[in-house]
Amino acid sequence: MKESFPQEIELTVGPVAAASGDHNSLHLDAAVARAAGFDRPVVHGMLTMGYAGRLLTGQFGTDSVRALEVRFTGVAKLGDKVTVRASLAKVEDGIGHYHLRARTTAGTEILTGRARVARRPRGAV
Amino acid sequence: MIDRSCIGFATTPTTVRIDGWRVALFCQAIGETDPVYRDPGPGSPVPPTFLKALESEHFSSAALLDMLGVPLRGVLHAEQAFEYLAPFYVGDVVDVSRTVADIYDKKEGALTFVVVDTQYRVGALSVAQSRQTILVRNSMAAA
Repeated sequence: MKESFPQEIELTVGPVAAASGDHNSLHLDAAVARAAGFDRPVVHGMLTMGYAGRLLTGQFGTDSVRALEVRFTGVAKLGDKVTVRASLAKVEDGIGHYHLRARTTAGTEILTGRARVARRPRGAV
Repeated sequence: MIDRSCIGFATTPTTVRIDGWRVALFCQAIGETDPVYRDPGPGSPVPPTFLKALESEHFSSAALLDMLGVPLRGVLHAEQAFEYLAPFYVGDVVDVSRTVADIYDKKEGALTFVVVDTQYRVGALSVAQSRQTILVRNSMAAA
C-alpha cells in the first residue's frame, strides 16, 4: 500500500449544489457569504470530502473504502486550490488506516480525518 | 434555542433509486474522471460520498433544520462520517432513514451542534450508515 499520496484540485461550487441537493446560499451568493463573515462564497465541505473519496478509490478501487470520517476544520472559498493528502497510519487485518488532511495552497487547513480502506474482495475472510 | 425534544426524531424510511444520470452528475461535480465511473448504468460503481446526495432525496439537512426552526444562515457542516458495510451500485433501491441523534451546546450556548444519523439499506441489508454534525452559530442564526 502506498504510504502517502497527495493530489491537487481547483474547487468550484456550482455543479456541487446541483448534484448534492445542498442549495445553502452560503455556497452560491457572495452577499450571503459576506453576511456570514466570509469574503467569498464558501465551498461545500462535501466537495473536499468527495475529493478525499476520489483519492482513495483512485488508489484502491471502487469498493475499497470501509470508512471515511472527516472534520471540516476550516473553509475553502470559491477559487481556492486545495491539496488532499492521505498518509498511512497502520495496516491491521488487511485494512489500511489513513490519516487525511486537506489544505488550501494558501496554507489554510480545511479538513482532517481518517479512512479505512481494503483492496481484497468484500466478504473474503 | 433549538428544541431538545427533537432529539430522537426519526424520519419514516423512503426508497431512493440510485439513478445513473444522478451518479454521472455527481461525478462531474466532484471532478471524478476515473473511467470506471463513466456512463453509469445498472451495476456500475458509485462514489462513496454520493450517499450524501442520496439522503437529500430522502430528507435533506436543510429540510431538517427548517423543521428544527434553524435558519440556514449561520449553519456550517462541521463533521461527516460514513461507514460502508456492503457494496451498493447504480440501480439499487435504497431505503433511507434519518434520526436526530443529539443536540448540544458549546461555548456557553454560542454554538449548537446537531448530530444526524442516516441509515442506508438495500432490502434487509444495511449497506452503510453515516453521521453528520451540523454547527449552528447562534449569533448568526438570530441576526
